[in-house]
Amino acid sequence: MKALMRVFIFAIMTLLFGPVEAQNADPLVVVVHKDNPVEQLSRSELIDLFMGKYVAFPDDSKAIPVELEGDHAIKVAFYGKLVGMSLSRVNAYWSRLRFTGRKRAAVFQPDEIELVDYIITNKQAIGYIPQSLITKNLKVVYILNE
Amino acid sequence: MNKSGLVIRLAIVITFTAVIVGLITTQIFHRFTFLQEQTLGEQNIKQLFNTVSPTASIASYLNDEELAKEVVNGLISHDLVTDAAIKSDAILIKSDNYQESSTVLEFTLFSPFQQERSVGTLFIKVNENYLKEKANKISNTNTFVVALEASIITIISILVTYFVITRPILSIGKALHSISPGTEQRIEKPSSHQHSEIGQLADDVNDLLAKAEQQMLREKKLRNELQILESRFRMLFENATSAIVLVEPQGDILLYNETFERLVDKLALPLKKNYGNYLQDLFIHKKELHEQVKIAFANNESATAELELTSTSDEKIWVQVVVTPLVTDDFQENYQITLHDISKRKKQISLLDQKANYDALTNLLNRHAAENHLNKLTATKVPFALIMMDLNDFKPINDVFGHDVGDELLIHVASQLMKSLRKADILSRWGGDEFVIVLPHASKEEVEAICDKLITQLSKPLHLTQHNKSVFVTASMGVSFYPDDQTDLLELIKLADKAMYHVKRSRVTDKALYMTFSTDAFNTSGSNESL
Repeated sequence: MKALMRVFIFAIMTLLFGPVEAQNADPLVVVVHKDNPVEQLSRSELIDLFMGKYVAFPDDSKAIPVELEGDHAIKVAFYGKLVGMSLSRVNAYWSRLRFTGRKRAAVFQPDEIELVDYIITNKQAIGYIPQSLITKNLKVVYILNE
Repeated sequence: MNKSGLVIRLAIVITFTAVIVGLITTQIFHRFTFLQEQTLGEQNIKQLFNTVSPTASIASYLNDEELAKEVVNGLISHDLVTDAAIKSDAILIKSDNYQESSTVLEFTLFSPFQQERSVGTLFIKVNENYLKEKANKISNTNTFVVALEASIITIISILVTYFVITRPILSIGKALHSISPGTEQRIEKPSSHQHSEIGQLADDVNDLLAKAEQQMLREKKLRNELQILESRFRMLFENATSAIVLVEPQGDILLYNETFERLVDKLALPLKKNYGNYLQDLFIHKKELHEQVKIAFANNESATAELELTSTSDEKIWVQVVVTPLVTDDFQENYQITLHDISKRKKQISLLDQKANYDALTNLLNRHAAENHLNKLTATKVPFALIMMDLNDFKPINDVFGHDVGDELLIHVASQLMKSLRKADILSRWGGDEFVIVLPHASKEEVEAICDKLITQLSKPLHLTQHNKSVFVTASMGVSFYPDDQTDLLELIKLADKAMYHVKRSRVTDKALYMTFSTDAFNTSGSNESL
């Protein structure tokens, strides 16, 4: 009953805030630590970092992609906009790679707040957040508009 | 069996055709199958690629050797693939025997996240041998089926052709072979072809046989008729009473009948192939016929002549020769020569001639013949002297001793007179005891001499054994001359007659007088009468 209740509340929340969040003027942005020398990333560079091709920024300094755990709404929106895939397909991609012994270099955070905190404290980190959460300690390197 | 026989030939042709068609069909089929298998193989490869492409894309995107190996191993485990390789900007994973060549199929791998971003290449080498084997297997089966089909069709074609067409035709042919045309034999119509073309053929053959029989019968009849006609002609020719000979212009004999053979035999001549032009060697006057032939042929007529044959016997053989030109069908001129024996007729004619012109008793010319001679002389204006002679005292002798003695005396006189005359002179018995003597080209002196001679001869006596007595006669003669005295024959004879009578009358006084010329007789008659 409690679980049902939670689903219900989530559904209400999604109905009330989801669409607003999806189509409002709060687009997702990719950010790094303000002291990170990287100023700007291309879409391909961004994909290569998050899909495991590279674990370094274009200037060869180590990069740590920061992910949200589970099927967070922001995560769903991020992959939908970046590679046009559902989260399940992205997860399937990683599952397949796991058999070949490839380990993911990403760091997982439970929500966007913690994610921001991680990036602020880690110069090598790179992550995605709604534009509204940008602080002066973060540097935007890519804007996901559409 | 006959090597060039219809059945063998047909079988050879059908089998040959079946083999050729089968070969061509299987070849085409093989080629077609192979190409189809190749296309199919390529399609399979594409499908194979579609199956592995997500993994291969990921492997080359991430440059993940393990994943790439997995893909390559997976690919080469397929029958269609011999070798495979994945190449990206950082790695090259390939199967053990992989070699770059033109037969390798290339597929571009794109990033799994960006469709337009190329991340590597997948190489797949198709197993050609596998394709070939598969194609061969299929086409071998097909070949076998086609060959089987062709064999069945061949056998059925041969059997059907043999039983439906060849055998009936052969049976007709055999039947025809054993039939001799012109007989009543006919061909039997094959039972299964009563209304087909082969049946029609049999009918036509039978019609032809019937026609041939008719024709032969007709020819046989004609031949018989011709034979009869020929034998008749031969009979006619061989039994002809006239000799018939067919000769070439050079005289070579082509044909002759028995009568000719007998004729030559009668002439005691050898039977030769050539007796000269127009058989001229058989005749006494060889060239006479040539003239006749020339004239007659110029007028498009048959040449006719009566000629005497060269005969060694006393009997004269006369023939009427008729030469007729004959032109043969190939325009060669030959001559038909017939020789009619006219010896008998000739003989009769000469006998008649004798009777008509000669006095039967004395064998001298008779009055009629003498007149003919005289006419001939006057017609040709030959001068002559005409002596009219009359025997003196013949009548008393005739009366006293009888006609037999008279006849004997006349014969005696004739022979005596004959002795004193020349060859050209004419002596004739004018009638009774009258004689006319014609002396061509004679002068008065010659006439006197002859008359003298005649009287001398007459004076020779005839001994009559029956009466044991000798008799002789004298004669009176009157002479006239043509044309000096008279040109008219009758008048001339009258003149001579008158002169003769003048002598007869004068003999009463002058026994020695025996002749006078007509001119003298009339000149002196006046004086005599005056005496």
